[in-house]
Amino acid sequence: DALLPAPQTISIISTNMKHFLTWSPVVVQGATVRYSVEFQGEYEREYANGSWIPASECAPTTATLCNLTDDISATVAYKLRVRAELGATRSPWATTEGFFNRAMTSLTPPLLRVMADGNHLLVELEDMGPSFQFRVLYWKKGQKSRVQQKVMKEVSSVLHLDTMEAGAEYCVKAQTHVQAINRSSSFSPTQCVRARGDASFWLT
Amino acid sequence: KIFHLGACRVSLSMTEIRAGFAAIKADIQSRDPIRTLSILSHPHSLHKVKSSDRCCIAHQLFTFYVDKVFRHCRTEDSFVNRKISSIANSFLSVTRELGHCREQNNCVCGEESTEKFKQILANYEGLNVTSAAMKSLGELDILLDWVEKSH
Repeated sequence: DALLPAPQTISIISTNMKHFLTWSPVVVQGATVRYSVEFQGEYEREYANGSWIPASECAPTTATLCNLTDDISATVAYKLRVRAELGATRSPWATTEGFFNRAMTSLTPPLLRVMADGNHLLVELEDMGPSFQFRVLYWKKGQKSRVQQKVMKEVSSVLHLDTMEAGAEYCVKAQTHVQAINRSSSFSPTQCVRARGDASFWLT
Repeated sequence: KIFHLGACRVSLSMTEIRAGFAAIKADIQSRDPIRTLSILSHPHSLHKVKSSDRCCIAHQLFTFYVDKVFRHCRTEDSFVNRKISSIANSFLSVTRELGHCREQNNCVCGEESTEKFKQILANYEGLNVTSAAMKSLGELDILLDWVEKSH
């Protein structure tokens, strides 16, 4: 049996609490190579003899990407590894260099849509999953010192922020917060709308 | 979420832990043949522990699960093993937080909580290790309910 090389360039991509392991393909002419991914949390290293656990979605897979979001579900340091498989032949394991902790995930500002419904100031936020809360800041244009805030623990369809004075312009921006890792994203760009009083229209 | 247990504050992803446990509770409890005995609630409920003792017994209980319980709960089902791993790693970080807090706040273990924890260990050691571990894991929601109520 020819030796199967271990996958190379393995890396973790983690954005908004979604964690993926990626690697470059192992190419064997005329054959389909499969891959198996395993993870090891701090508990396994220190209390379970360094045991490894097969990942839920990639044991095995033909893809060169593995979604580990359900597996990396505690805020501790994890190690990850992947190997190639062809029939009964197994490559050596390729293991991530350092550790990965989900607290390292990159948090992007939320997508939001600000609307004026008559003189009601409304905002619609992107549903980013159960880990996310939202902090929404809003103010009457020119009165930045009187910013108001609402914290949304869950994304409902549309949030009513305020009743606007006729013809006045109001601005809104938002950030996400993830309690499990106690971190927040940066703020989204500010969006402004004008209340009916004269024609209600969209200003950014 | 932040939980206050006596003098200690710990962050605990209770929703994630409860969801992970709910996904395997039936499977784990089906592996526990002895339904007449409780590890955590016999002879007295955790809820009887005084609030001043909560930080100490919380640390003892989370350490008990990390040291003694999870390692003996490996199953042939990789889905169950993954959920146990997730809970065990979450418990490990809470145990650390409680440990630091106990050192800083000198959480003294009163007579009552010492006695209560001794009883839990006696219940545990009265069974063979796998049965005891599975029963303890099957009672996880008793511990989680106590943490939320004590908060």
